[in-house]
Amino acid sequence: MQKLSSKERCVIAKVNEKKLVVVQLSGGNDALNTVIPYNDGDYYDNRPQVHIDPDKALKLDANLAMNPSMTAIKRLWDEGKVAVINGIGYPEPNRSHFRSMDIWHTAEPTKVLTEGWIGKALRELDPKSENVLGGINFGRGLPRAMSCPGVPVASVGNLDTYGLFPSVSDLQDRNDLLNVFSQMYGGAQGRDAVSEFLSQTGEDAMVGADILREAPNKYSSSVEYAANPLANSLRDAARVMFSDVGTKVFYTQHGSFDTHGGELPVHSKLWDDVSSSIGDFVDDVREHGYGDSTAILVFSEFGRRVKDNGSGTDHGSGGVAFLIGESVKGGLYGQYPSLKESNQLNGDLCANNDFRSVYTDILEDWFQVDSVPIVNGTFEKFDFFEC
Amino acid sequence: MTNKTIAERAVYDKTIGIVNNNPLGRGFAHPIDLAYRNGELFVLNKHPVFARVGVCNYREDYLREFGTYGHGDGQFWLPTGIAASDDGHIFVCDEFHNNVSVFKVSGEFVTNWGRKGSESGQIDGPSGVAISQDKNILVVDQNNHRIQEFTVEGAYVRSWGEFGTGPGQLNQPWGITTGKDGSVYVADWGNDRVQQFDTQGTIIGSFGGPTEDEGGLHRPSKPAVDEDGYVYVSDWGNESVKIYAPDGRYIQGLRGEATLSKWANEFLDANPDESIQRDISNLMPDLPDHFNTPYLISTQIESYFWGPSSVIIDKTHRLYVVESSRHRIQVFNLV
Amino acid sequence: MVCAQDTTEQRSLMAHLTRRIGFGATQAELDKLETQNYEDVVDDLLDPGESNHLPDELVLRYHTEVHEQRVGPWSAKQWLYRMVTTDTPIVEKMALFWHGIFATGYAKTNQARALAVQIDMFRKFGLGKFDLLLEELSKDPAMIIWLDNQDNHKGAINENFGREILELFSMGIGSYTENDIKECSRAFTGWTLKNAEYMSVRAMKDSIWPYGRISWHYEYREDDHDDGVKTFLGETGKLNGSDIVRIISKQRVAAEFISRHLYDFFVADEVPVSQWPYTAPKDPKAIATLADAYLSNDHDLKEVLRVLLKSEFFKNSRYERVKCPVEYVAGCLRVSSAVNKPTLLMNEAVSVMEYMGQSLLNPPSVEGWHEGTEWINSGSIVERVNFAYEVWGNSGSIEVKDITDRLSVDGDMYAEEVVQSCLNFMGPLELTEEATKYAIIDHVSRNGLIKFGDKSSKTRSQAEERIAEILALVAASKEYQRA
Repeated sequence: MQKLSSKERCVIAKVNEKKLVVVQLSGGNDALNTVIPYNDGDYYDNRPQVHIDPDKALKLDANLAMNPSMTAIKRLWDEGKVAVINGIGYPEPNRSHFRSMDIWHTAEPTKVLTEGWIGKALRELDPKSENVLGGINFGRGLPRAMSCPGVPVASVGNLDTYGLFPSVSDLQDRNDLLNVFSQMYGGAQGRDAVSEFLSQTGEDAMVGADILREAPNKYSSSVEYAANPLANSLRDAARVMFSDVGTKVFYTQHGSFDTHGGELPVHSKLWDDVSSSIGDFVDDVREHGYGDSTAILVFSEFGRRVKDNGSGTDHGSGGVAFLIGESVKGGLYGQYPSLKESNQLNGDLCANNDFRSVYTDILEDWFQVDSVPIVNGTFEKFDFFEC
Repeated sequence: MTNKTIAERAVYDKTIGIVNNNPLGRGFAHPIDLAYRNGELFVLNKHPVFARVGVCNYREDYLREFGTYGHGDGQFWLPTGIAASDDGHIFVCDEFHNNVSVFKVSGEFVTNWGRKGSESGQIDGPSGVAISQDKNILVVDQNNHRIQEFTVEGAYVRSWGEFGTGPGQLNQPWGITTGKDGSVYVADWGNDRVQQFDTQGTIIGSFGGPTEDEGGLHRPSKPAVDEDGYVYVSDWGNESVKIYAPDGRYIQGLRGEATLSKWANEFLDANPDESIQRDISNLMPDLPDHFNTPYLISTQIESYFWGPSSVIIDKTHRLYVVESSRHRIQVFNLV
Repeated sequence: MVCAQDTTEQRSLMAHLTRRIGFGATQAELDKLETQNYEDVVDDLLDPGESNHLPDELVLRYHTEVHEQRVGPWSAKQWLYRMVTTDTPIVEKMALFWHGIFATGYAKTNQARALAVQIDMFRKFGLGKFDLLLEELSKDPAMIIWLDNQDNHKGAINENFGREILELFSMGIGSYTENDIKECSRAFTGWTLKNAEYMSVRAMKDSIWPYGRISWHYEYREDDHDDGVKTFLGETGKLNGSDIVRIISKQRVAAEFISRHLYDFFVADEVPVSQWPYTAPKDPKAIATLADAYLSNDHDLKEVLRVLLKSEFFKNSRYERVKCPVEYVAGCLRVSSAVNKPTLLMNEAVSVMEYMGQSLLNPPSVEGWHEGTEWINSGSIVERVNFAYEVWGNSGSIEVKDITDRLSVDGDMYAEEVVQSCLNFMGPLELTEEATKYAIIDHVSRNGLIKFGDKSSKTRSQAEERIAEILALVAASKEYQRA
């Protein structure tokens, strides 16, 4: 009998607990002003109006520094818990918001897909959709990343007010109504695809709502989150996580990072929101013992142009992403793109690694699922995770 | 309409205020009414979440605040009118709660009274309060189209008025004040006029009216009366203030000419990026044709009145104009 | 007055028309429409008269914050009052249509009043010649700030507006080159707003100080306009923005692009716009018909809409759209006659649209909203059902009372008859699946026969409560999510 290595044992024991938190930065985050090549003369030459003061930037090493607003993330970096992936992107970059975001969501740059990588991953992890709360979006609408036929996803705008018929106070009356709803949405064959979709969604909603209603009641924490929508979403995510309902993916977004003008103050405020929220969330997760099993992915749909336009920057490519968590091997990954004109791609930074590599790490090493059908190919892993 | 005058009774002095979108702190959040007592200005803020009373003075000191948003005692939901009595009490009417709250001038809550309805003694959407000559409380009962008088404890005394357009009739009245002789002036909002009643509720005079000329009013919000019986009206629908002689003759119109207040200057000093741009901007530009109502013009010209909801006169011949959408008070000296 | 069991094809068609061109109709409104000729009704609707909406002054006096409209939701509230109480819903529906395409958002402009002015511009120009609308749009100060055209200078272009006007507002990807984008951007240099620098620094900082916001208006800066020779879509000259608009508006691809949008919004849900370059329309012939109408009527959108509304493909498209949150919320409020004076219920309604995924005046990006089934997920369905239940479950509502009166005409009724009648009233939901119908019938029949009693009797009030619950359950159904 083949003995399992300690790594394999370790993996199997933890496999069902792993959680991914995704923080999407919507609008195209300016990577150059997030992880800054503060010693590179080309940076200042190209960004006369829109550069960060090197004295204020938070130094990572002799060449790179973080945006001054990112104090909490820097703290985690110092603890070795932040993987910075520089020069991330995909071939033939697309500078249209929705299209580029759709590419990240569906892991397919060459054609339009409607199924998202997270939706597909959830389908692998729970093929029979036994858990209707496997993936939760903390926000409005449903990100394409989580969309996959047959995979239920809850969209919780506000955890405290979530549920069906909350205004009916009599318990018996409410249950009667829930039964009616359940029958209406639980019928057999719908008359068309839209009807079937509505049925499925309604059923999932019912089940999920019942469960989620309990989460806030069970929560207690010493962490006081910052006051911004991202912090609210992450706090909701924490509350659900700690109620152990089996949620594997917690999705949320912040923005708009589309800083065509007035970039410096806007970008700074946005990163203040993001960094402080993530810091608070990590503190909360640690306090409750979920640190080892939680990983946070922070990404944006593209970076921005090398040259500024006098007050901001236009859509570009070659961005930066972050993976944060106790089980993450902190450090710099990918290559920092060269700012030399000869190395640029039509005025943009050249990406040197594919975002699908990051997905591959997450899918294979974190969630233990086969990545190839999800990311539509084989991509070299970074090897981010410790056991 | 510019600041054209027939005779000049009010001369611009200065502006007090700045917008504040926090639950506390100096500044105003949709100031809707104002009461004056012993050099203190009690500003009632009707912000949808930060409703409160802020107290300041002519010298632009921010002294204190009281009241918060909510349904409990001492809390507001849609507070619309405020008045101060000589003996040191503040009365605030709330058109959602259909009640009147009583505070000491320090801000300490005393009591509240009032119930929704249309019977005598019941109120529906009270939008203004004033102290009567007998030291009772006059309440503008907006949705019952009448004025009711209560004791300070809330006991019913009398009421007058009914829906209509004729003399003495009212249509969704808004603000109220009293004159030296005890007569009661009411902003008869829906009828575009201010009506004057004696202490028993008999109609004795009328100012303005639904005319298009400069002496007309359009949805006036509040009257104020000086010692000589001149009537000053915040003409809400025209984003103006109109002044009438005691016999009803139109005297002067004001469109507003706000300047930077002390708090406004503090902000701009701390934000040179904005103040530099502001200094080189033309803040009184010509507007394209489609900005053709007083409201639309006021959204574009910052110094004009925008949402003049109340006027009061203090004991030193000053006229204060409260603007709910510019979060400030313009002060005029009365000559 | 229509009896409970009756529903005619004509009534069903009118219900469909009013849902699509507006936000739905009450039974009384359908009574009037049912007796008229369909073509005449369409012509009448396309010639809207006075809106007679709930007077703004009432709303502004009650909701003091709506007087200022400092933030998006406060302007959205005023628009919602308009949608719910107007006599000319087509004007509001067209404004909503354009808002979804010329998507301009509060999150970046930080200027709700300017957005309200933009919506008003859609009211005025939305049913006219496309050229005029596109030109007004290019001069709209909210749009200028939204797409940074105030940063588009002679000798230093900013391509944001130049790109999006082609990609998203008129032609779609693939019909122009990167060079066209550059030339287009050059042509729009100088199209800015008064006090642009001060206004844009305040927009970027979301500065409301000292005295709230100063609203915006258009200014043309001649000295900042690049008046050099440009070549755009094959035409060469010293092109200015108006020329760009003229050239765009006569392109067949523009006609098709706008037609496809009209089809998507008024006929049947299409795939998201980002997929249009790769995916053929559901009904290419319909699009071609509309594009022909556009070109042969001098780009008059009213005439395109006339062709659309009178077409067979429109009449046969019942329930082919998923209601967007605005339609859903405005529809529930309007058809139940829930709003006849200012009410704090509207605060809730504005928030709930956001929770359903549509923040009016604040689309997630310049690409607008993804519509159709993308509105439906386990989160939004909860919000939709709960809201509809609250509004329709109110037995005091005018429409609930009216429907109860209509039902009472036939005397006391068993559950099956009542439920079928309510399904007729609320749709007619003739495509109702058995599951929906019997789920409600089972529930209702537990309390036996519905007795109506005399008008104003206690029995009648009890009947109203039961009918309200049935209508609320119908509004919570799958079928009611569709238009």
